[in-house]
Amino acid sequence: MRETRLWSLHLLVIPIIIVLLGLHLAVMHYAPVFYGMSVEKAREFGAMIERGKSVAQFVLYILLLAAALYHGLYGLRGIIRELPLTPTLAKAVDVSIIGLGLFIFAFGTYVTWWTFSFKFGG
Amino acid sequence: MSDKTTTPREITFRVRRFDPETDSVPHWDEYRLNITDGMTVLEALHALKATQEPTLAWRSSCRMGVCGSCGMFINHLPQLACQTQVLHLGTDVVTVAPLPNYDNVKDLVPNLEPLIEKHAAIKPFIIHSNSKEIDEPTGEFLQTPDEREAISQFTHCIKCGLCLAACPTVATDPLFLGPQALAQAYRYTADNRDCGLQERLEAVDIFHGPYQCHLAGACSQACPKGVDPAFGIQLLKRTLVLDSIGFGKKKSSVAKVSPLAPSGVVKAIEEFAPPPRTVGQ
Repeated sequence: MRETRLWSLHLLVIPIIIVLLGLHLAVMHYAPVFYGMSVEKAREFGAMIERGKSVAQFVLYILLLAAALYHGLYGLRGIIRELPLTPTLAKAVDVSIIGLGLFIFAFGTYVTWWTFSFKFGG
Repeated sequence: MSDKTTTPREITFRVRRFDPETDSVPHWDEYRLNITDGMTVLEALHALKATQEPTLAWRSSCRMGVCGSCGMFINHLPQLACQTQVLHLGTDVVTVAPLPNYDNVKDLVPNLEPLIEKHAAIKPFIIHSNSKEIDEPTGEFLQTPDEREAISQFTHCIKCGLCLAACPTVATDPLFLGPQALAQAYRYTADNRDCGLQERLEAVDIFHGPYQCHLAGACSQACPKGVDPAFGIQLLKRTLVLDSIGFGKKKSSVAKVSPLAPSGVVKAIEEFAPPPRTVGQ
């Protein structure tokens, strides 16, 4: 059931992305509405970092990163694999996509962690 | 009556020609032919061959839309030549080419091997969990009218291959199983007498399987028998997903009736028995 499970997961993460993306918009782009701060203040680097120090936001971004990466890379794999590839090349595409996904996830997690643990002036 | 008495109309046929022994690339030839009402493209090709171009090659057999041999690309659409009336096309120039998405054997003859191979790969036959029952049956496998209706349209497939010629995914991904094979995979999997889903997974649950369908629906428009393969592919997806999460239909015990049928069944059969013979009693 390999392809069925991959495809099902590809669809399953769509509602997850919608919810998490909505939360991201609320936290980052609609901060004046939800946090009651001015637009100028909400745009400041320091204010964004400050909001990123919440554990809930850290978890939110890690989950959003994983869901969006899976959804996007599964789609990318579908586009590339539709080309007339030999079985070896097709396998190489699969491995490369998994490698790319893991790399971006690791980098994204590092950036999120950096934001979470950022200390001003230190 | 009036249909047969209308004045013949001259139609130009642009036919794509290719002879692998003499041509490196295909070319187009034009022929003019007087067409009467009701004349099909297949009849026109026969007339062309008889009167103008004896070397013209195509494949056909039944002449009535049953065998599925005469699929061609007529006026840029995959159609059966025997079911397509020339004057219904509404153009003075009719282009006839071999089906796209297949290799060209000669002139209008496509190489249908990929169609047959993909069809065979999905095991297009009833697979029963008890092979002994198949070899030495002890009773009949019953199917209710509702169970038959659930797969009815997909049983009408004549393997003409028009759906693969129309499919944009097959055009870019030759390994895609295609609407014909996938719809047939659903037809057999959904059959209440079949227990072969797990055996078909190896051929169907792959990257080039149902999830590559782009939902263009061109296959369903092209089908000359009114089958909706695009719908079949979606039903197959549902079957596979439900099976993958453990909600698939359990069909291990197939309903059957013993040769010594219960009296109720015998009575029902007698009720539908033909009337007594009126001659030769």
